[in-house]
Amino acid sequence: MQRGEGDGERPTFEQAQQAGRAFDAETDNFSGASGLLFEQAMAQTRMAVCLTDPRLKDDPIVFCNKAFEKLTGYRQEDVIGRNCRFLQGPKTDQRQVAKIREAIRTEEVLVVELLNYRKDGSTFWNALHLGPIYDEKGELRYFFGSQWDVSDIHLARAEEKHAKAMAREVSHRLKNVFAVIGGIVNITGRAMDARSVTGKINERIQALGRAYEPTLDDAALGTIEVGQAIRSVLNPYDPENDRIVFVGNGARTEPNAVSAMGLTLHELATNASKYGALSNREGKITVSWHHEEDRHGRQSLVIDWKETGGPAIESPPDDTGTGFDIAERLLAYSRGTLDRIWEEDGLRAKISLPLRS
Amino acid sequence: MKSILILEDEPLIAMDLQFAFEDAGAHAVVTISCAEAFDALDRMEFDGAVLDMNLGLGETCEPVAIHLRKQRIPFLLHTGDLDRAGEALRDLEAPILAKPSGADHVVERLFGLEGQYERA
Repeated sequence: MQRGEGDGERPTFEQAQQAGRAFDAETDNFSGASGLLFEQAMAQTRMAVCLTDPRLKDDPIVFCNKAFEKLTGYRQEDVIGRNCRFLQGPKTDQRQVAKIREAIRTEEVLVVELLNYRKDGSTFWNALHLGPIYDEKGELRYFFGSQWDVSDIHLARAEEKHAKAMAREVSHRLKNVFAVIGGIVNITGRAMDARSVTGKINERIQALGRAYEPTLDDAALGTIEVGQAIRSVLNPYDPENDRIVFVGNGARTEPNAVSAMGLTLHELATNASKYGALSNREGKITVSWHHEEDRHGRQSLVIDWKETGGPAIESPPDDTGTGFDIAERLLAYSRGTLDRIWEEDGLRAKISLPLRS
Repeated sequence: MKSILILEDEPLIAMDLQFAFEDAGAHAVVTISCAEAFDALDRMEFDGAVLDMNLGLGETCEPVAIHLRKQRIPFLLHTGDLDRAGEALRDLEAPILAKPSGADHVVERLFGLEGQYERA
């Protein structure tokens, strides 16, 4: 108690109370070793703390620390003797205030978040922790309140909510735009008596739209999850969800790769519907995807396509149509490849797309 | 000849649907608001309907959907925003077709629903 001796000259917290004046952290001290600990801890902590005395009229503040002054902008002399409610303002949620009142009445510990106002009128989100402090006889002596500024957390939550709402709105509008484009193409096809051509155009446009659809949610990350795009492109070819098996992890790729990948999958699925595993009632397709490293150490996204149970293939078809030619060329622009092997029990295809990162 | 009610506020989609139903040998009436749809329902009998969920300015097809359900007229909900389908519409358990889907597909699905009440 080396320090205690010197400080003994200073009035204690108790003495200040008895003298009917506010405790002054600068000149007064708390009694005993725990008082010393309290005093120093309160001075050092970044946590704003105040004590109120429920035995006095209107439960006024009798102590606050430096952090409290810093957080609220009020000086100790501004707040001592006043009830804490001066921190509230027009936008403070009265339901939270009611909870505080109830916790004080029932002497319970409470943590609430409420909007508080600084001396200069600016606001902050306060995670308020309050609880009763009893003396050695078990009688209520003080209420302890700690204030923590959680404005950053509130802002982050609000921004996240806003970003999600925006992504949904954009997604909704994008789908409508694709629906309108589909309408234009169909109407033009009817008017020009070219419905077989416009039908093909539309299928490809809609496949592209589906491929891009899931990219909106996480496009902000710079890459998109491959599995979501693959599933939404192929979804319409398997309305009962029992013909196409998806095997893949959360592999990601650049949004730019989506158009080539989406259209290639569309061509494979169209081909399967006409000649392959989706042209009968039994065939199945397994689509799997993963990242692979080539011999130059470059990462690629690889999508494996395996058809089984379709009509037997005696020899590779002579003409596989322009669809695959377009797909191969598109992939080549992304420096990707499409390999196809016609096994007896069905087509095996491998889409490979190098990743730039 | 079958009569189909279309409730759709986007002109190109409405036109495409109307043509597709006509190609399939049906007569399709296009309405662009719930009020117009109710007028059409007062004037004539329909065998089925395609309803766009969001009709702009916050209007949804919900009142028409509820009416059709009561009248036991088969209908499809056609929407680009499955999330925003209101609770009431979900409660109707009407078949939902996500936009974009080809007009021919819409026709196919709606004709597939016909007779659902006779069977039930």
